[in-house]
Amino acid sequence: MNLIDLSNKTILITGASAGIGQGTAKLISELGARIFITGRDIERLKKTFDSLSGTGHQILPADLSEEKGIEILTKELPELDGIVHSAGVIKPFPVKFIGKKHIDEVFDINLFAPVLLTSAVLKSKKLKAGASMIFLSSISSQHPYQGGALYTSSKAAIEAYCRAVAQEYAHKKIRANCISPGLVKTAMFKETMNAMTEEKRATYAEKYPLGYGEVKDVASAIAFFLSDASRWITGANLQMDGGLSINHL
Amino acid sequence: MDINNFIKELEEEFEEVEANSLKPETSFRDLPEWSSMHALIVIALVDIQYDVLLTGNDLRSCETISDLFTLIKKKR
Repeated sequence: MNLIDLSNKTILITGASAGIGQGTAKLISELGARIFITGRDIERLKKTFDSLSGTGHQILPADLSEEKGIEILTKELPELDGIVHSAGVIKPFPVKFIGKKHIDEVFDINLFAPVLLTSAVLKSKKLKAGASMIFLSSISSQHPYQGGALYTSSKAAIEAYCRAVAQEYAHKKIRANCISPGLVKTAMFKETMNAMTEEKRATYAEKYPLGYGEVKDVASAIAFFLSDASRWITGANLQMDGGLSINHL
Repeated sequence: MDINNFIKELEEEFEEVEANSLKPETSFRDLPEWSSMHALIVIALVDIQYDVLLTGNDLRSCETISDLFTLIKKKR
């Protein structure tokens, strides 16, 4: 018996054109799910689409940074068994330079989009009883890094929001959980590494006893949270960081 | 755009650097105060004042403040 069986489940993945969203789409299609992928970049979404196993999947391009985009997407959606909110942006910015424009840039995607999409699918009753929502946070919400004020605060906010959703919807057996990864090898990871000096890069690597994460590591945890194997877990935040926090923080 | 203005802006934002201590030929990475935070400050300052988005690689390709200024002008 396959404990993480997602057959007969219909799942929406945001930010599916890259990184964790893309890897999750591939993995959960292998586990039997029917997937709706969304994102802004149609060309890259097609690439994700071509990597999927099974049939019945669909691309629904949408700009989630705008309420109109969320509205259109929600109308097109079928009833869902799960949502993976993996769209996210990272924009290092020193504290004293932060203006409204920069807050909007980061919060539109990292906080407002998942919050507004959640409202929209709940209001339109597109989430089935027993559905599971996964929000992507980051280890940095608890352990800051220089230049990360906006990113880390947007992630801390989504963690608190996720717990509130879990509480309000437990009676419908709709679950909401967060995953907070450490550094995972994605395009975002490359950007983070590029911003560091060589010296810093080396000391950073040492902080991860199990090495940096792979997309598949996070995708596996997401698959678990989407599956009925996790039916007793809601309002949780899974910290997965290759041992970073036991070792050095 | 004037390089002397740009230097003044850098001196003001770096805080630890004394006024009139930076020159166009200064290798900014060799400043004793230089850190990854200063790289972020340069990127943010240039974004806000000149509406130019510098990457980490852009910054690495520059040696002196004058190199940096030339790059900003090119990208504007």
